[in-house]
Amino acid sequence: MSQIVEEIRQAYARVGITLDQPAAYGTYYRLLCAGCGRMVGNVGDKLLPDMAQALVDEQFDLYASGLLGCPCGHQKERTRALDGERWKQAQQPLGA
Amino acid sequence: MAKPDHQAMSEMRVIEDAEQRGRTDLWPFWRKAYAQGDPLPRLECKLSRPVHRFDEGDPLPEEYKGLLLKMLRHEGERAGNKSFLGLMGTCLEIAEALFPTPETKLLKAEYLAEELKHAIMFHRLAVGLQHDFALRDVPYAHYSFHLPRETWADDAFFHFFVDLNGAFHSRDWRESSYVPLQKMAATVERDELGHSEMGYYFLTEICQDRRGRILAQRILAKWYPAALDMFGRSDSPNAPKFIHWGLKSVDNAEIRRLYKEYVDRKLVALGLDVPDERKNRRFL
Repeated sequence: MSQIVEEIRQAYARVGITLDQPAAYGTYYRLLCAGCGRMVGNVGDKLLPDMAQALVDEQFDLYASGLLGCPCGHQKERTRALDGERWKQAQQPLGA
Repeated sequence: MAKPDHQAMSEMRVIEDAEQRGRTDLWPFWRKAYAQGDPLPRLECKLSRPVHRFDEGDPLPEEYKGLLLKMLRHEGERAGNKSFLGLMGTCLEIAEALFPTPETKLLKAEYLAEELKHAIMFHRLAVGLQHDFALRDVPYAHYSFHLPRETWADDAFFHFFVDLNGAFHSRDWRESSYVPLQKMAATVERDELGHSEMGYYFLTEICQDRRGRILAQRILAKWYPAALDMFGRSDSPNAPKFIHWGLKSVDNAEIRRLYKEYVDRKLVALGLDVPDERKNRRFL
């Protein structure tokens, strides 16, 4: 696993998303809900260094409010466990 | 073995017939865009340069061929490019997993079909240029092709921005010194503009309600810098060479400026705030 792919895996693991096995000739990876296994997106292996962590951090309140993530609610719960205060703030401005 | 011209023409008519039968009120999206006039800005070379013109089979100067291959490696839409086919596979999966309605999934299927048509066109061009290039796997190197897509809105921005980049480059190829590329440029430009309009149509739907608009505004921050970065560095040392040989008309900064004007106008029409053009940029 390349350094970038490992960065992506770790970044998404924090919010309850698993990086699947490589698909599409090894360039792209499915993102699966760590709660129920549903596909929630995909990502490629040519992000720049530190980009994956920054992107997932930026999206914290989108997961917290349910605008992103699996319909089963796993990422919403994970973000609440990660940072309850930030999670609470994310509920109001987004109208969740 | 080369096919006789009449056979190739017949095959094109079969493809054209298939495309005609795929038409709906929405598809192809380029139809409405071009019906209102030329949607893209003119890319005009303002420098004095020699006139070059090379057709398939002509001996090519070494530097010219190198630049042309470099350009086509970036373009990527070749039937023999495994990584392009892989990218198309991810588009199918995204449509299956994240698209909201059968209508939007069908639009995405039409998009796939049209991109595969391009893959055949660029395959022929590659074979005419250098046989072993036709089967070369060239993963997309730019990070914009690898950004995570976790919502329908991500995919909508991907098409709006990334396919539009292809339309702008194809517009430039209308004046290309490489005749096979110049011949197919108008078709590719039209189709890619249509793909961008498909993304824009999705964004219009997404921005109909407050939650959708909030989501679109937030993830625009991810896609906007990537879209501007796609044109490369403004001080690229290769740009003057591309222009000298007639493979491009304008440098990276100029095409980016025109592209930015175009996308900013459309983003404002959606009711979105245009991000700071320098924020999170990697290739200025």
